[in-house]
Amino acid sequence: MKGAHGSSRLHNPWPTIGWGMLAGVVAVSGVLGFGVLSRYQQNAPTLGLWNAICRGLGISADTTPSTEAQPALRTPTRIAWTTATLERIASGNAQHGSFIAMNCTACHGNGGVSVQTQFPTLAGMDAAVIYKQLDDYRSGKRISQVMGAMAQALSGEDSADVAAYFAARPGGLPALSGYRIPESGRSLRESDPGKRLVYAGDPQRGIPPCSACHGPGGFKLGAPALQEQHAAYIERQLGEFAQGSRQNDIFEQMRAIAKELTPEEMHALGAFYGTRNSQPAVALAPP
Amino acid sequence: MQNSSRLALYHYWVAFAAFLPAVVLGAWQMLMRSPLPAPLDDSNAYYASVTLHGSVMAYVVTTFFAMGFGYAVTATSLERPIRGVAAAWIGFVICLIGTAMVAVIVLAGRASVLYTFYPPLLASAWYYLGAFLLIGGSMIWVVVMIYNMAAWKRDNPGKPVPLPMFAITATALLWAWAASGVIIELLGVLLPGAFGLTTQIDAGLARTLFSVTLHAIVYFWLMPAYIAFYTLVPQAAGGRLYSDTMGRLTFIMFLVFSLPVGMHHLFEDPEHGAGLKFIQSFLTFFVALPTLLTVFSICASLEIAGRARGGRGLLGWIAALPWNEPMVLAVGLSLVMLGLGGFGGLINMSYAMNGMIHNTSWVTAHFHLIFGGAVVIMYFAIAYEMWPRITGKPLRSKALACVQLWLWFAGMMITTVPWHITGLMGQPRRVAVFDYSDPFVASMGPLVIVSVIGGAILLVSAILLIVILVRSQLGERRLEAPLRYALALNPPKTVPASLNGFALWNAVLLVLKLFAYGYPIGQFFVLKSKVPTYEVVQPSTIVGAR
Repeated sequence: MKGAHGSSRLHNPWPTIGWGMLAGVVAVSGVLGFGVLSRYQQNAPTLGLWNAICRGLGISADTTPSTEAQPALRTPTRIAWTTATLERIASGNAQHGSFIAMNCTACHGNGGVSVQTQFPTLAGMDAAVIYKQLDDYRSGKRISQVMGAMAQALSGEDSADVAAYFAARPGGLPALSGYRIPESGRSLRESDPGKRLVYAGDPQRGIPPCSACHGPGGFKLGAPALQEQHAAYIERQLGEFAQGSRQNDIFEQMRAIAKELTPEEMHALGAFYGTRNSQPAVALAPP
Repeated sequence: MQNSSRLALYHYWVAFAAFLPAVVLGAWQMLMRSPLPAPLDDSNAYYASVTLHGSVMAYVVTTFFAMGFGYAVTATSLERPIRGVAAAWIGFVICLIGTAMVAVIVLAGRASVLYTFYPPLLASAWYYLGAFLLIGGSMIWVVVMIYNMAAWKRDNPGKPVPLPMFAITATALLWAWAASGVIIELLGVLLPGAFGLTTQIDAGLARTLFSVTLHAIVYFWLMPAYIAFYTLVPQAAGGRLYSDTMGRLTFIMFLVFSLPVGMHHLFEDPEHGAGLKFIQSFLTFFVALPTLLTVFSICASLEIAGRARGGRGLLGWIAALPWNEPMVLAVGLSLVMLGLGGFGGLINMSYAMNGMIHNTSWVTAHFHLIFGGAVVIMYFAIAYEMWPRITGKPLRSKALACVQLWLWFAGMMITTVPWHITGLMGQPRRVAVFDYSDPFVASMGPLVIVSVIGGAILLVSAILLIVILVRSQLGERRLEAPLRYALALNPPKTVPASLNGFALWNAVLLVLKLFAYGYPIGQFFVLKSKVPTYEVVQPSTIVGAR
């Protein structure tokens, strides 16, 4: 917007005032922020000006490598959700995966729909979940003799392929959906312990609602959807997390939660999520 | 003028039609988080409700109200029809489509990300697209406002732009600067993530960009109220504006100082250094200047009116004011809430004190008191003032309007005062269910119940508002006096160019913004701080289908 013609002849001190105030504000806040505030630290020596400016910017002036001994690294998994990992999972070839999956049918059922409660249904499970579990078995982060051997026979690319295959199989776990029709009784007032834990958690024990990550309604990266999974399988995994015999949860969240659960609650959670028509351990069911 | 009036009226209708259901949601949320039983107690429903309540109140009601107010002010203060009416209608339709998209997607449960949509939470792409249309569509309004002011100046060389027009153009510019943050965030960070084009998202960058919008938007909400303070209140009280220049300076200062301050919402965030946070904390204190200037100016204007009406003595002029006028009553109640909320704001903006109340319900209480209270009560008064002028149908009952304003004030105070206290006790904000069987949480229970009662009063007041407006709309047409703005005690004949346009102040603002936000935003192009999108909104294999 241009200044009006007539009024521009009027004495106009405002550019001087405006720019002058700007310079003053910038100078004062800059000196206070970087030259004063960032220098002084509680219980530590006062910093020099250069170090203070770096600290004020949120970076460290010290670029030399640390000389302190690093603690031994102990990780619950080798998987980190980096772009490379996610793109590798996304590039899985389901057709090649279907050949690999022939090795899985004996336990996990035809097309990944398991009929035995000790083996989870894989059909419809998110590819990222399957990929991570296979890698954890391969690296010994999740311990199982059979699955360890199975996974060691697969390359990372094979894992992505077989994950893509099972993720796309119908008839198993219901498709991931963010939809959840609101319903009464999904708060801490609910008397059914399973339903209460699933939808409201238990703040006093530091237990978040299961449904925040495992559905229904919300799903987080790497957390399997649990609806229609075998009740006994869910219950057993909770027990393994609680006892620490399963340790491949990245932030230890499942171990922390499961330790707080009573056996009755684990049973109730399995019953809440688990499929109603799963048969108890039918040995060698026909494929 | 007919077309200009209809334009304003349609915008107002959308604003208030969206307002009532959003108040219903708010009242239910108060109940849901209290120890009392609530219908449909589902935490997912709570977060969806908070998202919709926030999106509607923060984006829909305010944007439509400001746009409608802008059109009304342009037509009446310049005393000529609006230029660019066709563009304005197109903007209206775009904003309406955006609003509908936001509402549908949130109600479908696909966007429970709250109205600040901080990643790595991720909503359905259609929610972000709806928000983009709503905010982007309002940029047409910005252009129409600037164009009308520039055209008037071209046609009236040397004359001072009327204060209402000057102020609404400042509002439009403020909104354009403010919205730049969220628009860049939507286009550059959120939409690519939501459409699956990127697997990782930079949460720090997104939060920083949103902070550019997050505080300035509050002043965008506030501006119509301030414009009413300066141009409508003295007229309604039967007096004159104390100073035209003070008004111009106030709106210029709001434009300059409300923008480089948003980082005070990120004081506890790890992605910025202490020096940068301090600078924005320091700059935030300057926003108090135009507010204090306004309080002084309005009190002086009201005193002029009170004394003209025969008020005597030190405070006698206060009693002499026409408190049965909705506009005068609203400004009195608004200033009380602005004062209390403003002192709370000083704590929020202070770098060291912020830590005590960060992310507690103190913050929620604060902005409800300032925005939901001080600002929205002025929206009501503006509606009561403008509705009859636009429709030619007078308000059926000014007394009922005053009752509505009192109820809103009482409801807001009863809601927010205990809410502040629970915040100080450490109650977190944005939590669906509190475990009141925990003795510590239980000690907050009675205060939360008082808030629920306040929420119910607010709901009654909101219903009353709609009843009053609909009754007036259905009433018979009578000739109404055209809207008049308050004259200044000494009406300006000429003003310096810098107080009659925004070229200088836009330049000052640009430098200030580069100073405050240059490094904080620039650093993300060097840092490797992206994280995977946390929310799974589609199976991982579909990502690979591309």
